Amino acid sequence: MTDGSTKIRVLIADDEAMIRSALAALLRLEGDIDVIAECSDGAEAVEAAERLKPDVCLLDLEMPGLDGVEVAERLRRTVTTRFVIVTRHARPGVLRRALAAGVAGFLPKSRDAGEVAAVIRQVAAGGRYIDPEIAADALSDERCPLTNRELDVLRLGSNGATTAQIARALSLAPGTVRNHISAILTKLSVDTRQQAAIMARERGWI
Amino acid sequence: MRGLASGVRGAWWYTVSAILFFELVLVLTWTATLFQGGVPSVGVGAGAVAIGGLLWCASTLPLLSAYRHRTGDPTAVQWRTVLAPIVIAVGYGVLAFALSGSWLLLVVPVAQSVQLLDWPRAVRLRMVLAVTALLACLWVIDANGLVSASSDSANGYFATGFLSAALPLMTVLSLWWWDVLIALDRARVSEARLAATQERLNLATDVHDLQGHHLQVVALQLELTERLLQGDDHAAALEQLQAARVSVDEARQGTRDLATRFRSVPLRDELANARDLLRAAGIAAETVVDANADDAPASVFGPVIRETTTNVLRHGGGRHTTLRLARSGDLWRYEITNDTDAAVYTPGSQRVIPGRERTGLDGLARRAKEVGGTLEIVAGEKDFTVIVTVPVSEVATR
Repeated sequence: MTDGSTKIRVLIADDEAMIRSALAALLRLEGDIDVIAECSDGAEAVEAAERLKPDVCLLDLEMPGLDGVEVAERLRRTVTTRFVIVTRHARPGVLRRALAAGVAGFLPKSRDAGEVAAVIRQVAAGGRYIDPEIAADALSDERCPLTNRELDVLRLGSNGATTAQIARALSLAPGTVRNHISAILTKLSVDTRQQAAIMARERGWI
Repeated sequence: MRGLASGVRGAWWYTVSAILFFELVLVLTWTATLFQGGVPSVGVGAGAVAIGGLLWCASTLPLLSAYRHRTGDPTAVQWRTVLAPIVIAVGYGVLAFALSGSWLLLVVPVAQSVQLLDWPRAVRLRMVLAVTALLACLWVIDANGLVSASSDSANGYFATGFLSAALPLMTVLSLWWWDVLIALDRARVSEARLAATQERLNLATDVHDLQGHHLQVVALQLELTERLLQGDDHAAALEQLQAARVSVDEARQGTRDLATRFRSVPLRDELANARDLLRAAGIAAETVVDANADDAPASVFGPVIRETTTNVLRHGGGRHTTLRLARSGDLWRYEITNDTDAAVYTPGSQRVIPGRERTGLDGLARRAKEVGGTLEIVAGEKDFTVIVTVPVSEVATR
């Protein structure tokens, strides 16, 4: 992706201005890294990355609008670039989502700029880096007790679809959908499908 | 969570069979009464009542099922599911009345079926009391009119009448019992959640104390740096700055340790998570895990699974990974194999393990040795395997 003579061109996206500018300043001190764009949200990052075609995008996970993983999902179809996600707190399921979106690096925000630079180099060279802390968290995620069908029902229902609409979308009988919903409520020990949807979202199941 | 759900399922089948049993006994009693009673064309009539009764009993099953799967939606009664059983109940009542002339037989089937609908609690109570009163009156009318014609079966009719009049009440009691069970089950879950919330509050206090302490330390270190810089002692100032950074990192690590203090999942879940992560990263991952693998010592295998999975994720060259955790004789054995990418490691070349990874595996080997186990690394030409064994009896399970 980069030969010895040229610098690694990096885009940074983070909604926290202090962190973004401090990290950019620190990375610019590394001889082989050039920070070519600093973006304050996901949409801006998508736009800038499509225009500038950076070698590596360093994306904050928690951003308003598009989060870091969503930015990677959008960009991987249009731009040949590598993605590194940084986060303060990796919510359950997010590493799985990130890996599926082709993210090559994932590390906590607490790592110092020297380590971030090392990860950028590794990722720019085609490697992958998953921080042990993030991996340990992801491995101790609570397993989802719901079947794939039940998750489909819950996902549609959480977007406000009625039982009839869910049934049509999944080509099921309304009675079957009701049975799925009741199974979901029993498994999660909650009273309403709204509670079930909130719980599933918190735990990264949908 | 799953254990609770299966316990409730057992209670549900118990409730259903009790209700169904009442209904069947009642149909049987009606048939027997008709056989004994002085009704014209006895055989055909009793037979029709018996067969219709079985059909009616069967028609109450969908109603029971709908009762169980109530979603608490305010859409109330789902007429499409409910209509057919109610029509069958009404039809059966009319048929039985035509054949026997008994008012009880006309009303009981539909009265029973209606009890199984999902009524609000207050409505249900009033309704069952009214229905029971009505049935009692019909019983008296029947006893006076129909059966007094053949006085020899008057005694037999007492049982039939009583069962008929009591059926809706017994049904409602059974369903009420079921509702109580569900409420208890939910209460147990809420209690567990409450305990978890309490724990979180304690955690918040701990975090507050910890952060307060470290922030104070950092503030002092920075103040000292400021003074040192004013005095132009740059070397000492730099030292204080570095110390401040270490303090910040300690604070962060301490907070993380607090937050993950109680976080652990069964080994089988951990392996399943590992498989999902590897698959998400485009690696064909398989797990072969003993059903009782949760009994394996998590204190050893937990870190082993984390470290080895991270390693496979990190170099990402391979395309296949297999994770195994099984008991063989007196040993728990964990094995993770991944193929190594030919593009990265040319055939025949020595497999290079990066320093950090090597250190991680050394730490795990020490850990395994402490509990009398072993860690073995097999670097083949096309694959790389880490095997960890731990004696069964040596370690407490958790």
